[in-house]
Amino acid sequence: MPVAGSQSSLREANRAKIVDAVKEHGGLTQVELTGATGLSPATVSTIVKELVGAGFVEVRNTVRSGRRAQLVTLAHRVGLVAGVVVGHRHLRVAVADVTHEVIAEQTLPLPADHRSDTSLDRAALLVVDLLERVGVGMDELLAIGIGLPAPVDSSTGQVSVRGILRGWDGVPVAQVLEKRLARPVFVDNDANLGALAESTVGAARPYHHAIYVRASHGVGSGIVLSGRVHRGLGGTAGEIGHVQVDPAGRICVCGSRGCLDTVVGGAALLEPLRTSHGNVTLRDVVALAADGDPGCRQIVADAGAAIGSVVAGLATALNPECVVVGGELAETGDILLGPIRDALRRRSLLNQLTPLEIVPAALGQQAELVGAIVLALQSTDVFETADDGLGPMPELPAAMQKGTP
Amino acid sequence: MTGRTPLLALRQISKYFGAVEALVGVDLEVHAHEVVALVGDNAAGKSTLAKVVAGALTPDSGLIEIDGQPVSISSPSAANRLGIASVFQDLAVCENLDVTANVFLGQELRTTAGMLADGRMESETRRLLRHLTVRIPSVRTPLRHLSGGQRQAVAIARTLIGNPRIVVLDEPTAALSVAQTAEVLTHIERLRDLGLGVILISHNLNDVRAVSDRIEVLRHGRNNGSFPATASHESILAAITGAGSGLL
Repeated sequence: MPVAGSQSSLREANRAKIVDAVKEHGGLTQVELTGATGLSPATVSTIVKELVGAGFVEVRNTVRSGRRAQLVTLAHRVGLVAGVVVGHRHLRVAVADVTHEVIAEQTLPLPADHRSDTSLDRAALLVVDLLERVGVGMDELLAIGIGLPAPVDSSTGQVSVRGILRGWDGVPVAQVLEKRLARPVFVDNDANLGALAESTVGAARPYHHAIYVRASHGVGSGIVLSGRVHRGLGGTAGEIGHVQVDPAGRICVCGSRGCLDTVVGGAALLEPLRTSHGNVTLRDVVALAADGDPGCRQIVADAGAAIGSVVAGLATALNPECVVVGGELAETGDILLGPIRDALRRRSLLNQLTPLEIVPAALGQQAELVGAIVLALQSTDVFETADDGLGPMPELPAAMQKGTP
Repeated sequence: MTGRTPLLALRQISKYFGAVEALVGVDLEVHAHEVVALVGDNAAGKSTLAKVVAGALTPDSGLIEIDGQPVSISSPSAANRLGIASVFQDLAVCENLDVTANVFLGQELRTTAGMLADGRMESETRRLLRHLTVRIPSVRTPLRHLSGGQRQAVAIARTLIGNPRIVVLDEPTAALSVAQTAEVLTHIERLRDLGLGVILISHNLNDVRAVSDRIEVLRHGRNNGSFPATASHESILAAITGAGSGLL
């Protein structure tokens, strides 16, 4: 163990900085690396050379702003990760390499109130099938990230509030999948994953403080403070779907009265359309609203106003630099975003220095899936695994093995 | 989407095979942009009803309406002319022919000189597969090289030739892996998005509840309950097995 402050410990720290930056962004040019790490171009160049020699990263020629550049990525043989997102009506599974590049993807429609045992079984089978599809063995899978549409206690990996996701209470999601796939599994809430993805590779990438709002069958949000997702004690941070908006409203699945979800959740959105449109699904409403159907536009716009007033409160408390809006409803674009923007514009504290940015998710419907992939990557120790395959790495220091927590 | 004239309506359909009551006074409505699932035990009459719609069987009594107009579906080609396309359990695809030839089997496009219009058929096949978001590398691959799910996709793509309005799928996910099931269910969602009415016959309640708008239960050749897709697994199962009143 090198002495703190010594030259070798400094070099180790610099290496860790570079590897973490590459890991975080998937791929960066050497020039971008100097910007991301604050190291000098000469140091970056030397360390990248060392890492290439050790087989941890690959360098290939690329073009940035019309000039030739050297793109640094983690070496592909380091392995793949899988992302799984369990939705209310769809299961999405993808495998990606360490640059967050999705290599294969599959969506499975799910029944309403699907059972945890069936859905997790199918998720495991889909992961195996996708690996087969890209011609990669199980041994190259590093980890699996999985997102659930409910608050998750990150210490146990279980749904932390009973009743919100029927049939999933007390299910040890990570253990069930770990047993099937024999790989580490990391569980988080879907909106947190969306926030993680958008702040790592999406629309919130330039900002330190951001809120990601996910409007789908339910409404949730993920909070990014100083570049990190804030989950709270029990993983319920950002659960704006359960903020009270109507003290005399309906009882929510969580047991409280008048939650935002009772006003803009899937069932609440579809109910008023029953007379005029009959039985429609959330997907229909999104498609019809985009096509200009007045009734569906009204439903989505009203939902935007209701969500906007809650997000305005959250944003006033947190003072973010930007609000990213994702989820199925965001596919309607300004029909949803317009009213949210209006609600946020009215709050004077939010727009003191510059107007608060409200943008659609850059990753669109992929946000949660990419988030699950980012979670799996950040939670795994890429180096330990690489060590197994590449033999001894005497030069590679312990400081690098910390990775991101 | 209720309140409009159904695309297809079957009223009081009965079909007997000697002493066997295959269908007794069965009603069924299918609207555009709707997936209606037919579920039931073995010999509940699901496939018989599908064959009546497809024109393979003629009912002994009852009325069939399309867009509110009474019609008679006397043969599969009559069904085709009325805009009804079907995929049966055996798929009826040719192993030795490529994807394009299978899609256009029996309804090949010809040039003005009477030759096969291969180029046109290939580009049309590509367009259809893209519409259904089917993952098949080449339309020139012989069917024997494709997986079960991909064959099912080819069979579904074939139904779209001639712009049908109703598609009947008999057990499309039977004997498929989870990944292939995922593909086929996604294709069914696409058919619905394209504005077609879909009749889906399946044993697998999980698959049925995932993509259907409405679930119709048949029991011993009779209607035994109609459920929205959000109805619980248990209530549908009760109607199938006869444990409940069917009016939950």
